[in-house]
Amino acid sequence: MGTDGRDTGIRVVIVDDHSIFRSGLRADLDGTLAVVGEAADVPAAIEVIRATKPDVVLLDVHLPGGDDVDATGGAAVIAGCAGVPTRFLALSVSDAAEDVVRVIRAGARGYITKGSSGAEVSSAVRAVADGDAVFSPRLAGFVLDAFGAVAGETATANDELDRLSAREQEVMRLIARGYAYKEVATELFISIKTVETHVSAVLRKLQLSSRHELTVWASERRLL
Amino acid sequence: MSITAARAVPRPAASATRVRPPLRRPRECAVSGVGAGLAVHLGAPVWAVRALFVVLSVFGVGVLLYAWFWALVPWDAPAGDVDAAERTGAERAPTRRAPVAWPLVIAAGVGAVLLLGGGGLPYSVAVVVLVATVLAAMSAGVWAALIDRRDPARGPRHALAVRVAAAVVLATVFALMLSLLASGGGVTQFVLTMLPLVGLVIVLSSTLIEKWRELSGERIRRIREEQRSEMAAHLHDSVLQTLALIQNRAGASSEAARLARAQERELRAWLYDGDAPADSDLSTDLRDYAGGLELDYPVRIDVVSAGLSTERASGELAAAAREAMLNAARHAGGDVSVYIEGGATGVDVFIRDRGAGFDLDTVPGDRLGVRESVIGRMRRAGGSATVRSDAGGTEVHLRIVGTGEARGH
Repeated sequence: MGTDGRDTGIRVVIVDDHSIFRSGLRADLDGTLAVVGEAADVPAAIEVIRATKPDVVLLDVHLPGGDDVDATGGAAVIAGCAGVPTRFLALSVSDAAEDVVRVIRAGARGYITKGSSGAEVSSAVRAVADGDAVFSPRLAGFVLDAFGAVAGETATANDELDRLSAREQEVMRLIARGYAYKEVATELFISIKTVETHVSAVLRKLQLSSRHELTVWASERRLL
Repeated sequence: MSITAARAVPRPAASATRVRPPLRRPRECAVSGVGAGLAVHLGAPVWAVRALFVVLSVFGVGVLLYAWFWALVPWDAPAGDVDAAERTGAERAPTRRAPVAWPLVIAAGVGAVLLLGGGGLPYSVAVVVLVATVLAAMSAGVWAALIDRRDPARGPRHALAVRVAAAVVLATVFALMLSLLASGGGVTQFVLTMLPLVGLVIVLSSTLIEKWRELSGERIRRIREEQRSEMAAHLHDSVLQTLALIQNRAGASSEAARLARAQERELRAWLYDGDAPADSDLSTDLRDYAGGLELDYPVRIDVVSAGLSTERASGELAAAAREAMLNAARHAGGDVSVYIEGGATGVDVFIRDRGAGFDLDTVPGDRLGVRESVIGRMRRAGGSATVRSDAGGTEVHLRIVGTGEARGH
């Protein structure tokens, strides 16, 4: 998505309230990614992102400085950066579904756990920069659950927001089983691009659906 | 306080001098436990101690001594689990054999009857009877509200009955005195009239003390809860982050990363699952098992579950899944994904590793376990197991049809 003169360099901002984690991540990201800024809380993050307009923001789900005491700061950052052409990848040390689902519904393009290696984070950043969604197996499992796929509900129309199509369910199941996008493509005899389209469609449903279970299940069962 | 003190058990009687048992009031006592506690401490019979108190009371010292012991000697440690007793609170309240409140109420009632019918009493005797009646009724009400109420053998209903009786006696006496006051009398008469009223107020206000006790107990619980969640938030922000960083920097299958991961899992379970019931369904069981494998083998196992799992952890499916996970950890290592899906028609478990793969038809002897304990076991249980293996890894798919209840054991 090279909008201006930058060639392959993807510009990244890291938002995390632990400096030790920021520096560790900065050292771990591979050479094709340029870290152009860091921030430790919500106001600083909004300022840095508005100033540097990065391609991807690595965003900690839990951040200090949000307006609401209970809310995770990550969602506040996304809300505060409306209008900036940037994409968010949520970083989470927490497995709590409500937190992760909240940032995703706020607009993050995916979620990755903090225990992931530098290479995993780098490839996730590249995927997000290309406009793809990043689904962990856990997030895929949660999506299957929340959209009723496990109970056998299947969308009949393409634009249905509250259920997954048969193909989307297949893709999500394979991701939940630990398949990489490439392996999903091979398994289903489709192109990687098609897999990415399906995942993006699911992400869009996850962000837009008003399905009741999404919120209830997430908070009740700590599935993620 | 009394609990920590009670834990200081007497030193073993190795020395020549006999060590006295600690001075404690037993929790199951007659009135206050002073006599019994003192008897145990001194090694004397209980009746002797009681007799001593009675004799001393004649000189006035006994009452003071008794009150002093009552106020300062701690209760004995509750029997059984101290922590459990502390949590329920009910266990901690001592129970008393002697019904202290009722005799006082009866005494007060007799006094009231004497006063009502007693036109013939001399004035000085009438005053003594009045004071004694008011004191007895008042003590009965306060005793019931403050002490009997918490006694597991009596409880709030008993306390209410005593207090109503005491209040009725006091009100009757007050009404009587008021009618006498109306027929004329000096300041002394007025003070005497006010006596039962004061007693009545004290009996009624003892509820407030009880309420205040409950309120402060509630406050302490809330503060504890707040402290706990504050601590959880702090640990989440600091320790969990550091553990994540260690895993991230040390590489997935290094020793340091495995230890950090195990520690993270334990801490997380303590932080977030403390209030959840320890049910042993399939996904919980496999998660625990994965945690154990991660400690023993250089492997990182990600267990994902979807759907409601009615499958029991003790079932054949779980045993086969554990075997497949063990194989993956032992032979493939690295990243292993486990996905459990419990649908309406059955339960699916997928175990996938990224090892070199193997051909099931040409399995070496040491991997015969797959054929027997995974495939054979699933077939005997009425399910199915398929193993797919290529250069990119191995995936075992276990499936069992029907619900957990329908299959029975």
